[in-house]
Amino acid sequence: MAVVPIVQLFGIDIVRFSIDLLTLYSLFLVVSLTLNLEAGYTGVPNFGKVMFVAAGAAAAGSASGQFAALVLGVNTHGNYNGFIYQIIPQIDAALSNNPWLSISLLLFGVLLAAAVGAVLGFAVSYPAIRLREDYLGMLLLAAAQFFQIILSGYEPIIGGTQGIEVPNVFGWFFGDVIGVRDVVFLLVLGVFALLVFLYCEKVVRSPLGRTLRAIRDNELASRSVGKNDVAIRRKVIIVASAISGMAGALLTFYLGSVGSETWTRVTWTFWIWVIVILGGAANNAGVALGAFSFTFLLKAVDQVKFNFQPFIPIDVNWLEYIMFAALLIAILAIRPEGMLREKPTLTMPRSVLERIMESSVDPVENNQQGNHSARVDSAG
Amino acid sequence: MVEAFVTDTIVYASLFGLMALGLTLTYLTTKVPNFAYGSFVTIGMYTAFALYRTQKINPYASAPIAFLLGAVASVAMYLGVLRILSKRGSSLVALMIATLAVDIAFVGIFGIYSDYLTLRYALINSKYFYPIPDSFTLFGTAGIVYVAPISLCIVTLAVFLLLTRSKFGVAMRASVENPSLARVLGINVENVYVFAWFLAGGFAAMSGSYYVLWLPGGITGGSNLIVEIFAASVLGGLASIYGAVLGGLVIGASEVLVTKVALDRLGSWVGIYQKGIPLIIMVVTLLVLPKGLTSINWRRTLVSTYPSVRSELRRLYHSILKLARIGS
Repeated sequence: MAVVPIVQLFGIDIVRFSIDLLTLYSLFLVVSLTLNLEAGYTGVPNFGKVMFVAAGAAAAGSASGQFAALVLGVNTHGNYNGFIYQIIPQIDAALSNNPWLSISLLLFGVLLAAAVGAVLGFAVSYPAIRLREDYLGMLLLAAAQFFQIILSGYEPIIGGTQGIEVPNVFGWFFGDVIGVRDVVFLLVLGVFALLVFLYCEKVVRSPLGRTLRAIRDNELASRSVGKNDVAIRRKVIIVASAISGMAGALLTFYLGSVGSETWTRVTWTFWIWVIVILGGAANNAGVALGAFSFTFLLKAVDQVKFNFQPFIPIDVNWLEYIMFAALLIAILAIRPEGMLREKPTLTMPRSVLERIMESSVDPVENNQQGNHSARVDSAG
Repeated sequence: MVEAFVTDTIVYASLFGLMALGLTLTYLTTKVPNFAYGSFVTIGMYTAFALYRTQKINPYASAPIAFLLGAVASVAMYLGVLRILSKRGSSLVALMIATLAVDIAFVGIFGIYSDYLTLRYALINSKYFYPIPDSFTLFGTAGIVYVAPISLCIVTLAVFLLLTRSKFGVAMRASVENPSLARVLGINVENVYVFAWFLAGGFAAMSGSYYVLWLPGGITGGSNLIVEIFAASVLGGLASIYGAVLGGLVIGASEVLVTKVALDRLGSWVGIYQKGIPLIIMVVTLLVLPKGLTSINWRRTLVSTYPSVRSELRRLYHSILKLARIGS
């Protein structure tokens, strides 16, 4: 049976630290990439990011358990949230030797979260595409605040502030040895993050990506060349919200519980913004770098906190808030474009354009044209 | 004894009027929605709480101190963050995210301060505290029910007199309307903006110190009111301080009254949707009336709709007559 080794360095368990770091990194990467798609490329300042992540988490956490209870025939006494501490152990026991049900439950939760995120994104997009940046910012911030109040107050969803437990969908793997579950989850999350990264890169390097930037930079000009800015903005918000919801669902399955307190404005709106600004808006590689730097900083501070908290009379979390707020303002003042700046889309050289024109006349060279445009795209 | 929902409405509406007035002052000058504004309210809450619990000073007496602290914090934020960033040519979104950062930093500062209060004075509930008992009652009603609306009236009147009757106030209006032209005329626009932020922070903190006489406060007590404060300012049009006062009154009153009606009719489960009311008002205002209540030309609206309403009624009357004739 595989057991994760323990390597100590300066009294810190390096393996444990790395696993936690990479898990959090993957989650932050996914959510910040979607924010980058919205705010960086399309110019929709989403100040309510936490709402979409939390919605996905709540939907997945609540529905997957109820679905499993239904399939396995666990008696919920008609009150799932009320008997959660009796129901979840029964589900977990059944899931631990039923890999297919576990995997389909995971997929069910994640897809449901994507659907809920998309619906919420669609709802928000109605005012979002009609409002100016400042009004939109206010509206999204207020909507997210309201959403959190609903989550903490309305008990049927996730049991209010108490929260509910979520089935363990990784239990069948190596019999739930401590550590192995984390590695498996990290792999799942890593693949997911990689896919999202590749998808975002694909989108922004395509003609659509250039359209997004055109809408952001000059709405009127993009409209005049026949781009439907309203429809495109709506699509971007829906896709970004769906992916954010999926990230929330995955974290819920990992944590094994979901509560309204898990999803704070500080972590899932503010820190995501810090990552995008730090890494560089409208640059996916920059955001990936920013997410890593930020997560490393965060985990390092956590480690210091863990080791030094007994000697400090106040809660170190507060210092973290002040530190990252100061960091963000410093970046905005000193290097507003972030670590990696946005690469401009340059016009193709005249020789290339001429060759494309020639080749489009001659159908035999159509293949070559494809090669050229692909090369220019990846360069720009 | 007045019914609870009446006093609730009075206190809520007055305090939100006061808060919205301050927020609109900051928006008028810098054109950035200030997400940290709720924290200025929290400054007032903690000033009132700390001085009451440690020195036995009642919140009415500590309100001027709160006003000063909030005003200083507000000016510090304007000079230390927003002015520096806007001088470097930051975009609107960058300035908005900076104000959110300031809000987060304030939450951190309040957290540290509440830890300090716990350590130094053994106040265990300093992160989330219950309302402070009012120091006087009049005709069987708590003092805040009188003090909050009177304060709002005094502040609105004072701001009105300042803007219309004093030279500095005229300079303020000029700086808001057209900064370049005001500069040409020799007005120090920067000083005017600093003063506007000073007042805004002061009003926020003052309303915060009154707020904890009626409702619980805490580290995020002010930040959680941001929905109502923004809704009130948006309803007022974000361009008029009188509109903001009106917006605050409408938001505060409708939140209490609609919730009261809904609680009576539908049961206690609607209570948590209370904050949905300002949110809905905000969304509807933004979509239907983006320039707010003050943008409506009431006289023209009434005069212009009157003839069409009359002709509609006449047409309706004739069609009913026709129907009646067919029927007979």
